[in-house]
Amino acid sequence: MFLTRSEYDRGVNTFSPEGRLFQVEYAIEAIKLGSTTIGVRTPEGVVLGVEKRVQSPLLEASSIEKIMEIDRHLGCAMSGLTADARTMIDHARVTAQNHAFTYDERIKVESVTQAVCDLALRFGESVHDEDALMSRPFGVALLIAGIDENGPQLFHTDPSGTFVRYDAKAIGSGSEAAQSELQDKWHKQMSLQEAQILTLRVLKQVMEEKLDHHNVQLAQVTPDKGFEIINEVRLKEIIDLM
Amino acid sequence: MPDGSFAHSQQRSFNPYTDNGGTILAIAGADFTVIAGDTRQSEGYSIQTRYAPKVFRLTDRAVLAVNGFAADGNMFVKKVKQRLEWYRHAHAKDMPLRAIARLIQTMLYAQRFFPYYVYNILGGIEEDGTGAVYSFDPVGSYEREACRAAGAAQSLVQPFLDNQIYFKNQTAAPGQSHPTHLPLPDVLAIVIDSFTSATERHIEVGDGLEIYVVVAKGRSPQGLDTMRGVQEMSARPDGDRMFVIRRDLKKD
Amino acid sequence: MSIMEYNGGSVIAMVGKECVAIASDLRLGNQALGISSNFQKIFPMTDRIYLGLPGLATDVTTLRDTFRYRLNMYKIKEEREIEPETFAHLVSSTLYERRFGPWFIEPVMAGLEKTPSGAYKPFIAATDLIGCINFAKDFVVAGTASSKLFGVAEGLWEPDLEPEDLFETCAQTLLNAVDRDAYSGWGAEVYLITKDKVIKRTLKGRMD
Repeated sequence: MFLTRSEYDRGVNTFSPEGRLFQVEYAIEAIKLGSTTIGVRTPEGVVLGVEKRVQSPLLEASSIEKIMEIDRHLGCAMSGLTADARTMIDHARVTAQNHAFTYDERIKVESVTQAVCDLALRFGESVHDEDALMSRPFGVALLIAGIDENGPQLFHTDPSGTFVRYDAKAIGSGSEAAQSELQDKWHKQMSLQEAQILTLRVLKQVMEEKLDHHNVQLAQVTPDKGFEIINEVRLKEIIDLM
Repeated sequence: MPDGSFAHSQQRSFNPYTDNGGTILAIAGADFTVIAGDTRQSEGYSIQTRYAPKVFRLTDRAVLAVNGFAADGNMFVKKVKQRLEWYRHAHAKDMPLRAIARLIQTMLYAQRFFPYYVYNILGGIEEDGTGAVYSFDPVGSYEREACRAAGAAQSLVQPFLDNQIYFKNQTAAPGQSHPTHLPLPDVLAIVIDSFTSATERHIEVGDGLEIYVVVAKGRSPQGLDTMRGVQEMSARPDGDRMFVIRRDLKKD
Repeated sequence: MSIMEYNGGSVIAMVGKECVAIASDLRLGNQALGISSNFQKIFPMTDRIYLGLPGLATDVTTLRDTFRYRLNMYKIKEEREIEPETFAHLVSSTLYERRFGPWFIEPVMAGLEKTPSGAYKPFIAATDLIGCINFAKDFVVAGTASSKLFGVAEGLWEPDLEPEDLFETCAQTLLNAVDRDAYSGWGAEVYLITKDKVIKRTLKGRMD
């Protein structure tokens, strides 16, 4: 390890002779240690689901926050170093509000995703002689869900600043198994409820603990109600439907 | 002074603004909007040019009329167009009319303490296909309206429009009501009458008249396409359509 | 601040076919404060001549009395009623007497002139505050809403209007103009002068 990657591991912005940025690659690896997070797009809206790892019986499960609102029509779920996501979501929120202020309209899902990704490769960057604002790549991946004039959409961003649109996407530790399950079960005309159940089923399959309303969180973005985190009572009902 | 005497105090002043006269006007129909302006540009009693456009096409469905200090007006239109281009690159679509209206507000208010000395009227087609007019003051206060006149002859034209467009001080016959929107030929007649009247009684108005008409996608241009001296400038024949009508006004 | 804006008020006169109309608002104000909505500015000078006096209210009253006095003197000396054109010159010279300390009034007059053939010819005129006469063939305006009156009148007026059409044109012009003027409004009155009668109509208007 030390021998093969030696010097090019130091500078965060230094390419290896093979043309790779190791720090970015490591950051992408870090996502795979995070808890599983799933997003499913349907014609009725987008569903986001996360596994909350409750490591101790003394831990308040409700204090784990892995799904956040960006704007009324935009939501976001994360996996990886969730603390890093604060910076990104802060930026996304400011961008969305700024857009509404300047243009009196809701920002598009792709535009807000682009804005977040613009941050991703700012690490090690300094203006003139000032210190760089960020020392390393973000260690987090996001699933950004939202609705605009192009309908319900789901975007995935990673630490390299790349973003791709998905019909359904899983990230985090159980992502490989989850992704292939989504590929099997997702279909074009899925209802929102089907998507909620699919999300929970896939999470259940990849989770070590037994799934209940304490260790998962579900959210959705719909045309009528916008972004909403599904409360525990409703979550329980959906779990019972599984 | 070097010889020990005192210099008399002097006062210098530079006025960065000029009023270049002219008048603009816009009227919204149900599915079209008419935006017009005369083409005279003056400074005091002198006519600088008989053809200086004050009405500008911004997008396929938005037109901006700018009146006041011409230098500020032209620069403002240039900057709005630049922002529209940036928006197109960032968001892969043309900016909707109400977004342009809000953008103009933020751009004007950004100059709150050294304003663009211009009155703006924005006209075009809204996202829902209705005709719309937005009017602004120099620092960005704005409002959507059915009609608005601005500039040198605002005081002459606006009460006429109140009467002819809003039917102010007119009572409908029993059991009947006034139309909320007029057909295009009526609106064009009112616009032309307004400018001939303003030309007659105001020295800063005249020379030429430029009338932009934006017709919503799929709606009839109500005979405009076959009218004499009409230039069509639509981006696509199957989208919103845009026309320009040019008329002479008295030159005295 | 213009002296016209001290009390506010506007007058318009229009020519029609064998008829004339003269109309005014009814507001009396003290700058922005409204005082009365029943302040007349149009006065009969003869049976066929009406004079509108927009401007400083104290001068409205004084000039009205001055013209009554001078017309009485004219009638006694000449043993006949004054003709409109002559009256216009009387107005003009009365105002010019105060060339360097003028009455703050911009008079507007309308009447029917007796022609040698015995028929009546429409006559309107207006002067500035020192008496420069404007003999217009279509319409004349004065007061704080003058620019608005010009705009609307220029758009609505046409030649040879019949009495009732002239009334409507004149009333609409006045009403719509004063609605855009903070210093004029609060009701209006219109005098329609034809060869055999004069009709006075008081109009309701916006009270804001």
